[in-house]
Amino acid sequence: MVPKSTASRTARVGIDTGGTFTDFIVASEGGVRVHKVLSTPHDPAEAVLRGLEELGLEPARCEITYGSTVATNALIERKGARTAFVTVAGFEDLLEIGRQVRPHLYDLTPSCPPPLVPKELRYGVTGRILYDGTVLKPLSRKALAELRRKMQGQGIESVAVCFLFSFVNPAHELAVAEALGGLGVPVSCSHRILPEHREYERASTTTVNAYVAPVMGRHLERLSRSLGKAHFRIMQSNGGSISAARAAAEPVHTILSGPAGGVVAGLAVGRRAGFERVITFDMGGTSTDVALCDGEVTLAAEAAVGGVPVHIPMIDLHTVGAGGGSIARRDPGGALVVGPESTGADPGPICYGKGSEVTVTDANLALGRLDGRWFLGGTMPLDEAGVLRAMKSLASTLGVSRTRAAEGIIEVVNATMERAIRVISVERGHDPRRFTLVSFGGAGALHACELAERLAIPRVVVPNHAGIASALGMVMSDVKRTYVATVMKEAEALSARDLDRAYRRLESEGRREMAAEGLARDDLILERLIDCRYVGQSYELSVPYCRDYVAAFHGQHESTYGYARPEQPVEVVAVRVHVTGPVAPVVLPKGRAPRRPARPRLVERKAVVSGGRRVQASVFRREDLPVGARLRGPALVPEYSATTWVPPGWVAQVDRLYNLRLERGR
Amino acid sequence: MKIDPIALEVFKNLFSSVAEEMGVALGRTGYSPNIKERRDYSCAVFDADGQMAAQAAHIPVHLGSMPLAVMAARAEAPMGRGDMVIMNDPYRGGTHLPDITLVAPVYIGSRDRRPLFYVANRAHHADVGGMTPGSLPLATEIYQEGLRIPPLTLVCRGVVERDVVRLVLANVRTPEEREGDLAAQIASNRIGEQRLVELVAARGRRTVVAAMRALQDYAERMTRKAIRSIPNGTYRFEDYLDDDGLSDQPIKIAVAVTVRGDKVHIDFTGTDPQVRGSVNAVEPIVLSAVFYVVRCLVDLELPSNAGCMRPLTVVAPEGTVVNARFPAPVAGGNVETSQRIVDVLLGAFARAMPEAIPAASAGTMSNLTLGGYDSVRHRPFTYYETIAGGVGASAMGPGLNAVHTHMTNTMNTPIEALEYAYPFRVVRYALRRGSGGAGRHPGGDGVVREVEVLCDASLTILSDRRRRGPYGLRGGRPGMPGLNLLRKGRRVEVLPGKVNRQVKAGQIVSIYTPGGGGFGRRRKR
Repeated sequence: MVPKSTASRTARVGIDTGGTFTDFIVASEGGVRVHKVLSTPHDPAEAVLRGLEELGLEPARCEITYGSTVATNALIERKGARTAFVTVAGFEDLLEIGRQVRPHLYDLTPSCPPPLVPKELRYGVTGRILYDGTVLKPLSRKALAELRRKMQGQGIESVAVCFLFSFVNPAHELAVAEALGGLGVPVSCSHRILPEHREYERASTTTVNAYVAPVMGRHLERLSRSLGKAHFRIMQSNGGSISAARAAAEPVHTILSGPAGGVVAGLAVGRRAGFERVITFDMGGTSTDVALCDGEVTLAAEAAVGGVPVHIPMIDLHTVGAGGGSIARRDPGGALVVGPESTGADPGPICYGKGSEVTVTDANLALGRLDGRWFLGGTMPLDEAGVLRAMKSLASTLGVSRTRAAEGIIEVVNATMERAIRVISVERGHDPRRFTLVSFGGAGALHACELAERLAIPRVVVPNHAGIASALGMVMSDVKRTYVATVMKEAEALSARDLDRAYRRLESEGRREMAAEGLARDDLILERLIDCRYVGQSYELSVPYCRDYVAAFHGQHESTYGYARPEQPVEVVAVRVHVTGPVAPVVLPKGRAPRRPARPRLVERKAVVSGGRRVQASVFRREDLPVGARLRGPALVPEYSATTWVPPGWVAQVDRLYNLRLERGR
Repeated sequence: MKIDPIALEVFKNLFSSVAEEMGVALGRTGYSPNIKERRDYSCAVFDADGQMAAQAAHIPVHLGSMPLAVMAARAEAPMGRGDMVIMNDPYRGGTHLPDITLVAPVYIGSRDRRPLFYVANRAHHADVGGMTPGSLPLATEIYQEGLRIPPLTLVCRGVVERDVVRLVLANVRTPEEREGDLAAQIASNRIGEQRLVELVAARGRRTVVAAMRALQDYAERMTRKAIRSIPNGTYRFEDYLDDDGLSDQPIKIAVAVTVRGDKVHIDFTGTDPQVRGSVNAVEPIVLSAVFYVVRCLVDLELPSNAGCMRPLTVVAPEGTVVNARFPAPVAGGNVETSQRIVDVLLGAFARAMPEAIPAASAGTMSNLTLGGYDSVRHRPFTYYETIAGGVGASAMGPGLNAVHTHMTNTMNTPIEALEYAYPFRVVRYALRRGSGGAGRHPGGDGVVREVEVLCDASLTILSDRRRRGPYGLRGGRPGMPGLNLLRKGRRVEVLPGKVNRQVKAGQIVSIYTPGGGGFGRRRKR
């Protein structure tokens, strides 16, 4: 269960920081343990350290993979650093103009989120490099001194630097970085973050990095200090992990860190349960992430997070601001709105004892679908009376009954999540009826069946330890990193030896870095890829490198675009090495199917509201359910970190991996 | 066959994803920066009758008029299995000569006698010959505007007709680029064809055909519903183009929009007669503009297909600037007049729904073309770009800065792609601060784009709203008119809105685009 190269370490720990809870999973020789502590948004490290302590783990003997939402939240909530943007004079508005297109074609009143850098923090300096790397106008010391002077006293906390053609010649970016060294704030240079042409996309990606860098840097530094000798890695947006040091310098790669863990786990669980096509549904406290995996994790090279383009490969994910902590209120038009505002962990829903605004979690409690006796194993009492009081006052502003208000909240939030799933399925030509919904996150299983019903998804799988699936994904993620070198030469002018030399340089860099991460040379998987295009095209295709890679490129072009031009010269844009440090699979406990379906032990019957009526739901403890157990809805299945709601008409069955498999009964 | 609401939603997205995929293929394999970077192209899927079934959200001025190209192709060049038709003639289903359209039939069963669907794409080629590089000249007849291609068979049973390609390439300034772009257009239609064949194999022919029909009916129902919410009445509006580039005479476009129940009648009677210069529009442009405006008035999620147009009737009197007679020049009708047609339509609807309609946006595409011989790269070049402006403000809020509005939505050419491919240097690309019209909600700002030419070249600018700014509404001030300059050192010359001239190495062309109109009276502080 431990990577061969680090066999001396005893435990692999996956940690996922959510808006409300920080989840832990510990995989060791002894099996799998899970744990949950309340998140500490003012200092997410606090919850991480407390959880490790509560688990009694000695950091030095742990291999920790951590999914951090610090960068993501800073970007989405626009709470990142006060960031300055430095570029060539005359192009200061680059981030605002973007590609000059409007987001929706048929929207008469289009709007865009404001740029990350306000007008007054955009700086232009004279200094111009041309497309071939030659310097047209040098960047003078005077200009740099002037820039530094102008930037002082502006309260700048981070700087993004993007000069035209810096991916060919980074001299001016380096000079600016050096000149601004004295400011004592992180400086992100575009030639390091995304060494590719197209200034807007490069600038935007770099600015995101700068915007989140100070927050992420502080956070990781604190954790690294406290964790001492632990092997400590951060989950990246592409589903693989990297070292904490690199994540601190290039946090843009972790922008979808936490959710990526969930998708990796969701697909892995789905596969082991026998379903290759899954839609992962991760409903947390503040938001819900959905992703579609048609047999494998889908990566998108060009994504936008919080409305800002980020051009690095990441899991193709759709997020909506609806979760257990989403606040329900009456809008001025008299409608019931839920989210996107959330109470988060602090103060949290009313039922946690501190909050004052009604949330989705409170609605579930009011409907009888949650119960303080089971919640987190009964360690956290829930304030039911407080919820009923607040629900009553919300109901009276809406002019409906208390139960109707509570059910309305669930209906509205389900509609938002339905829309999210439509975006990644039907809108991309996938029929949800052919997929399995894998539901996790603390709140997911309370909503999954009703959601599946709305979308005609035939089956829901709620994995064992559903509440901590993202953390599970962390321990299942391989170490991944890609090394690229730009070539930009015609294939005819390149010898196999030239290419081989370039590849070997990348590979030795990869081996060195991976060794520093504690991975043995022999375990690494190195893949050589080559990016080619026809001379004159501007998008390239990546094909596995082989002796006759030109023929492979023609073939790939033919199959991707329906034609090839074998008579056209081919240009090699870049060589690329994917380095993967595989991690041994986590063995999940597996049971044996009994001859006769086992009869689950009923805990009690409980009144639950469903479809406007009060029904008697059977309650079963998840840990009591043997393999093969079958239960009919209405039923509730609480476990330590989540509760599954089986609506009337649905049937749940426990599979051999202790997953709950839910289908509409016949 | 009954199509349930889930199937309707699934097919809506399946059909438009066919069109989207065609677009991705075209953009990825195109050769000219205008196609690969600016994405100045559109793709759509049509049913057996040539009615539009789905489109990708590309360029509005292309989309509404493509059905006429499919009609013309069907009528003039019958298409067998594996054939593909090429065309650009504005008087036979086209819009202006640089927009070349490729139409392909999609046959499904081996015994089928006629196609079950059509796919088509339209791409703006940076040059199709004619008087000046870029093929948007200040012409007085269409013969001067470039090569006119009636519907011709370009691909016959899967084999490209080399003779047709040779004829086209012999008449354009940058044949290599054109050849690459045409190959990309062929590939795009092939992808569309392949996806539709797969779709029928997976879902069944009857279901796919029924879904296509059901979606058009659905779009029609939704459009009628939206129209019913507009008060009955006749609403008039008129506005002007600055001039035709050959005289100083403003050109009036007038419209009367009559709403009755769930129907709308649109009549352009009262519009000025066609002019000598190239701002004449052909009728397909009017249909594109009407389609765009109607589509904007209905829900954002509505599928865009032929059903949206069923509740509408349109009259564009022949011989006017909105329905020019052969052989009037039309290059600017597509890019400039189309925008003003939208302005008058929205102005008329604003009288019916004052809170729902924004003030006028930039109202011009500020077309910049440069061409000549690149002495560094030793090859001829033609460069084409349209430049964004400000959006009109509305009751909802201020207008956006620096985006393309209404009939276009092309991207800019990244500076790094531009300077790599052409003998230019971009000197400045910034917001034109303060150019949005004042008001309770101010209009969005336009932009400034300054390009230094590094070798002698032929410059053509086709722009409007250089004399009068985009109108404000409900007391909001108009946006600032655009401005074109040519400068070298301290010598600055103001250029007309529509101009063609030779420029010398070292000269800088500056385009200042209009801001959007303001909305509502600004409150005194």
